[in-house]
Amino acid sequence: MTEKRFTVSRETAWCPGCGNFGIINSLSQALDNLGLDPKDVLFVSGIGQAGKTPHYIKGNVLNTLHGRTLPTATGAKIANQELTVIAMGGDGDGYAEGGNHFLHALRKNVDITYIVHNNQVFGLTKGQASPSSDLGMITGTTPRGVSYESFNPLAVAITLNAGFVARGYAGDQEHLSKVLQAAIQYPGFALVDVLQPCVTFNKVNTYQWYRARVYDLNQDPDYNPHDRKMAWERSWEWGEEIPIGIFYQVERATLSEHIPALENGPLVKQPLVSPYLGEVLAQFK
Amino acid sequence: MRNFNILIGGEAGQGLVSVSNLLIRAITKEGWYLFAQQDYMSRIRGGHNFVRLRLADQPVYCCERGVDLLVALDQVTIDLHHEELNQNGVVIADGQSSPGENFDLISISFAEIAKKQGQPPIMANAVAAGAIWAFLADNLSAIELVLAETFGDKGDEVVQGNIKCAQAGFNLAREGRTLTHPAKPLEPPEVMILKGNDALPTGALAAGLKFMSAYPMTPATGVTEFIAAHSERLSVVMEQAEDEIAAINMAIGAAYAGVRAMTATSGGGFALMTEALGLAGSAEIPVVVINAQRPGPSTGLPTRTEQGDLLFAVYGGSGDYPKAVLAPGDVEEAFYLMGTAFNLADQFQTPVIVLSDQHLADSYQTVKPLDPAKISIDRGNLITDAGPEYKRYQYTDSGVSPRLLPGFGSGGLVVSAGDEHDEEGHLIEDAETRIKMMEKRMRKLDGMKTAALAPVTYGVQEEPEYILIGFGSTKGAVREAVDLLIGKGIPSLQVHLPQVYPLPDKLRQIWNLPGRKIIVENNYVGQLEKLIGAELAAAPDGHVRKYDGRPFAPQDIVEQLLGGGGR
Repeated sequence: MTEKRFTVSRETAWCPGCGNFGIINSLSQALDNLGLDPKDVLFVSGIGQAGKTPHYIKGNVLNTLHGRTLPTATGAKIANQELTVIAMGGDGDGYAEGGNHFLHALRKNVDITYIVHNNQVFGLTKGQASPSSDLGMITGTTPRGVSYESFNPLAVAITLNAGFVARGYAGDQEHLSKVLQAAIQYPGFALVDVLQPCVTFNKVNTYQWYRARVYDLNQDPDYNPHDRKMAWERSWEWGEEIPIGIFYQVERATLSEHIPALENGPLVKQPLVSPYLGEVLAQFK
Repeated sequence: MRNFNILIGGEAGQGLVSVSNLLIRAITKEGWYLFAQQDYMSRIRGGHNFVRLRLADQPVYCCERGVDLLVALDQVTIDLHHEELNQNGVVIADGQSSPGENFDLISISFAEIAKKQGQPPIMANAVAAGAIWAFLADNLSAIELVLAETFGDKGDEVVQGNIKCAQAGFNLAREGRTLTHPAKPLEPPEVMILKGNDALPTGALAAGLKFMSAYPMTPATGVTEFIAAHSERLSVVMEQAEDEIAAINMAIGAAYAGVRAMTATSGGGFALMTEALGLAGSAEIPVVVINAQRPGPSTGLPTRTEQGDLLFAVYGGSGDYPKAVLAPGDVEEAFYLMGTAFNLADQFQTPVIVLSDQHLADSYQTVKPLDPAKISIDRGNLITDAGPEYKRYQYTDSGVSPRLLPGFGSGGLVVSAGDEHDEEGHLIEDAETRIKMMEKRMRKLDGMKTAALAPVTYGVQEEPEYILIGFGSTKGAVREAVDLLIGKGIPSLQVHLPQVYPLPDKLRQIWNLPGRKIIVENNYVGQLEKLIGAELAAAPDGHVRKYDGRPFAPQDIVEQLLGGGGR
């Protein structure tokens, strides 16, 4: 039994039975299993019920703006590569408000883990449609049912050749914890989209609904997570059967490897002013 | 002071930038003081662009009206500018241009001459530079030096070809003329020549900048590209962001992690950044934002100048939080104020905005050599260690809490939030904590007021008749307007504000002086006038404003003042 270094007892703002509890427990377990020290871990979040998660786990916290989780986490990671940076937020935060940042984070391949608490609904604002709501879902802003195609984060990530693309389920903590562990260990941008029942506002995608559908695709001996085409095709499976697990994993150079300055160690530990500044000034003479 | 004003005009893509850059460096080497102003359109080819070069035997702070040598790469340049020619002004025209009625015109087909020297058409630029040089000196040595520096890496053949072309242009312009050359300083001054978009990033580097992220936007892009160009050698990071929102949030993330970080943009991009500025205010993260202003609203005039974002920079954003807004007036101030900007950001753990504009960004100026040693770095209350009891937002008298960096403590955790929070950084909603935390943050503004940079004055301190008050890039034109007024027997004083928020208390003392207070600014509504009214409850006796997208010439100010515009 490992020491529970990341667990804190603080009253949460979440509903009893919220899928966020499953995520936070799985995450704490994963970090403990990896033997990390909370002072070396930075949790970056946006706004929403998921955005509050860093306050209920032990570590450094940068709780930013709605949708801005990824650029903020990117800046922090570049400034101090020694930090384990975990970005987290909901589907509204990541796929709506932060959609553009999501696309470019996938391209950049910065070495962070991005956990999306995907409950397919806006929770904090009390139940409006989100980009990942299923077609036809009736919400406060969609009285006639959602008419837009649902956003498929996994397909988008695989299309942009993201290095690590996975899906977890908040109701299966043992599996989620393993997926998160692999994601944190992966050198590069690791997306973990987590199916998270919202017990208050999503009456469709409930625990019972998911329990009857999810299966671990990595148990399928024919599934190859290094095969991009196979991963992309499987990312569209949704309905009677919903795959969870590591969809896609590939080696790619991380953003840091493209930045010459980071060869000299963590930016935050480097001298502030370069001895070569004089050369720059000399060009004006 | 003796001046010589050159205007070189042509279409975008005709080599204007190459010719003027060559001349800017050669003029500096030859020992004149120089101010060069660029006027260009928002297009890649065609249109009408021009550069004004004002060289003098004494320091110059802006361009002025009037042209002694008009260099026309096309007929449009002659049509648009010949009326600006001073008495004895001369036109050098590229080839076919028709001779003027009231002015002396030298027609040289630059490309043809280059061809005659057996050189490619691109060397027309060297022919033009040589022809212009005939009016400045009796030998080409400075031009030759600059050509060797510029083309040295392309090999001796290219250098010699260019020199040959410059010599040919030089000879043709001198043919049959006795030319007197502009006066030079008695001693060649020790100077540097650079523009605002060189000085701002260099100052930032001297202040310890380690991370920049930005989305390209005119006229701020020069800062971004400068940092990118030097990033590998100087071990700094320049990350191009997907939009301005990402740019500032990345900078905030980097600053939170402990490095000095900044972004640069113009008005539209700055508008996108205001949400994140509030985050930096709430989470008390030091970040520096350069807003190189251009005329708005909306896309406005992308390549031109205005001071229309002052009130936006000062008051823009949701909620109240402390911040500082600096407004460098010239190249030298731009360099040193970047040091001030980063120090203020760290000392008060809050965002600092530096207001530049297209005029400052793109104008070259000879300045006393910039000395990075004069930029001292003060990182404020930064602590290297703290235990588990550490509280990021500990209440203090100054409002500034000891700042630990994430990953550095012996158990201390850095918890920061843009939601209202308690001393530890965790979220709260109770009124009592809200009031205490709001007051803690806003107390920092008291310290910032005390630290505010004093106004810079120039001219007649005793009993001035006019006191011209301005901020930012009007500094040079206002200074020379004061000289013109004094020359007319009207004692006048300049009051330049390198910091516009919080305003220094000392500015209030100006109102104790006799004389008419005139606020000079490059915008429509009189934003500085409103700011001074709101913050210091002081009203001027008149104003001089301009909103045509062009910088002031000193004569504009004097005319508006004495012609009745100053009331």
